[in-house]
Amino acid sequence: MNAPPTSRPAWKTLLVRHETILGLVLVLEVLLFNALGRRFLTGDNVANIVRQSVEIGLLALVMTPIILTAGIDLSVGSLMGLCAVVFGMLWKDAGLSPWIAALGAIGVGALGGGVNAALITRLGLPPLIVTLGTFSLFRGMAEAFTGGLKAYTGFPDSFLALSNSFYLGVPMQAWVFFVAIIAMWLLVHRTTFGRSWRAIGFAPEGARYAGIPVARRLALAYSLAGAVAGLASVIFISRVTEARANAGTGYELAAITAVVLGGTSIFGGIGSIHGTLLGVAAVAVMANGLSRIIAITAISRELSGILTGALLLLALAAGALAKALSERRARRQTPGLPNPPPATS
Amino acid sequence: MKHLLALFALPALALFSGCDKKSDTASVGDKPGKKLTIALLPKSKGNQFFLTCEKGAREAAHEIGAELLFDGPTNNDPAKQNEIVENWITLGVDAIAAASQNKDGISTPLKKAREKGITVVTYDSDANPDARAFFVNQATPQSIGHILMDTAAQLCGEEGEFAIITGTLTAGNLNAWRGFIEGRLAEKYPKMKLLDTKPCDDDKDKAQQEAANLLSAYPNIKCIMAITSPAVPGAAEAVKQAGKAGAVKVLGLGLPSENRAYVKEGVTQAVILWNLDDLGYLTLKATAAVATGALKPGATEFDAGRLGKLKVEGDNILLGQPIVFTKENIDQFDF
Repeated sequence: MNAPPTSRPAWKTLLVRHETILGLVLVLEVLLFNALGRRFLTGDNVANIVRQSVEIGLLALVMTPIILTAGIDLSVGSLMGLCAVVFGMLWKDAGLSPWIAALGAIGVGALGGGVNAALITRLGLPPLIVTLGTFSLFRGMAEAFTGGLKAYTGFPDSFLALSNSFYLGVPMQAWVFFVAIIAMWLLVHRTTFGRSWRAIGFAPEGARYAGIPVARRLALAYSLAGAVAGLASVIFISRVTEARANAGTGYELAAITAVVLGGTSIFGGIGSIHGTLLGVAAVAVMANGLSRIIAITAISRELSGILTGALLLLALAAGALAKALSERRARRQTPGLPNPPPATS
Repeated sequence: MKHLLALFALPALALFSGCDKKSDTASVGDKPGKKLTIALLPKSKGNQFFLTCEKGAREAAHEIGAELLFDGPTNNDPAKQNEIVENWITLGVDAIAAASQNKDGISTPLKKAREKGITVVTYDSDANPDARAFFVNQATPQSIGHILMDTAAQLCGEEGEFAIITGTLTAGNLNAWRGFIEGRLAEKYPKMKLLDTKPCDDDKDKAQQEAANLLSAYPNIKCIMAITSPAVPGAAEAVKQAGKAGAVKVLGLGLPSENRAYVKEGVTQAVILWNLDDLGYLTLKATAAVATGALKPGATEFDAGRLGKLKVEGDNILLGQPIVFTKENIDQFDF
């Protein structure tokens, strides 16, 4: 719907096709695990899948605009660790209410994202390197504050209810996730912010000449990611009932996997929030479903890693293949075209 | 020809006896005849320690005809153990035996499991007491401390100077052991002297470095005691490289498999550990017994199959004494 004007039909069909295929994969997974797994399609288990994917889901939502701009953020998982520690310190050491501490954690997250944004936009450093640095920095700070061991526990039940209770039969944190989904969908698909992120991803120089405030738009994407990493850490703490420096370990890669699997091009410009959600669901359902096939439960975690990787590569290969085919078709249909430009990605 | 017949008869026999076993499987109180499903949670999965526990647990599960699920984290994501337990609850398992990574963290889903009527037992490292019925305790801090000190004294002829390499100075279990080591030393071995206690951050290379420093700082040192598993091969390598194999004794808590080479070369004299196979076996037996109501709170003894009758102290089921692995017996163990 917001595809760039230059190659609209080809990209549009590709986008539709990718998400349809991913949706079919998801349906296939559900059917397969329902047949082979034990008590897979039960309300309790579906609630489990949702509860266990909210944090990675939130990170994936805000990772989408970043990847749309052809950027990356490797630091969000580590930032969750830092926010978790700050949350614990504000609550236990400073004696604040958990909700105030939660705001503090989100604030620290936004600040952390702001550091990424400043280094990327002010100094023009590549996001990969900047966030690789803050990946170590944030986790290191979290470990330094707690000696790597200290765990904050004993939170009040009112706070633990955030991730351990239900409202209208839906896990409480899922409501937060739904709100975030709607907000991010509107932001990416219905506002000029979304369009400018895509434009930056396609051609940052072009975007600048078109009058888009590139630095500000990039800063927004990275700061938003930081703030939401803070929110994810709060939900995580409530779910695991423990705030520790190792919160969110590996979550940045899980989020990136979901986004790329969902059809967002790592080269920027193309992608959608609904694709990302399908990506999150496909990975979460796979991990849960495999562990419910009793015969393979002992190796389910390893298998889920292998299959997620295979699915990701397959999706990328299929995308590249479809693109090559559609380009060849387009070339054949317009024989007058002298020299077709080479594929940019 | 007779042999050929026997060849066919054997599997057939096995098949029949297998069927027999199936008919007298353990069952849950309210659902007679139903096979017990017991889930075993390790701290981490790709770890020889817990894989050996699993082996023992499988043997016990086979004996009582229970279905055993084994799953654990493959990375250090602190939420994984919780997620696995939550999924087991909705899977409808009858019992869970867990080794906890984060005591408070894991207690939340374990309590949830108990609320749903699932039997919960912990092993290796305990959760909060209200999150489980029993803890299968592989060794009390006292028995570990005492056996380490006694073995060191024996190696040194009850006199001389020694040093300890520990994991970190803040680790609760290591400090508890150190307390009992020092207590035993003060009480029983007046001619021995503890020179120093160095942390190695549970890193083998750092342990090697610390051991090398100890060897050069204290020329009269007679023994190095490593109380965390990576430190045992680390200390041995330092002693070997200093050319002091045999002159300076090495002992410690660790896996026999990681120390086999040094023990055989005579660099390391003693490796101490409980039998992991037995730990897994006992855990599964005890969990099944709690689930079927055979083992109730307040019991003082538990009949653990091939391990015989074991002591129950409060809500702790005790595995018994650790094993001292030496040149003579180390080949009998494959973990």
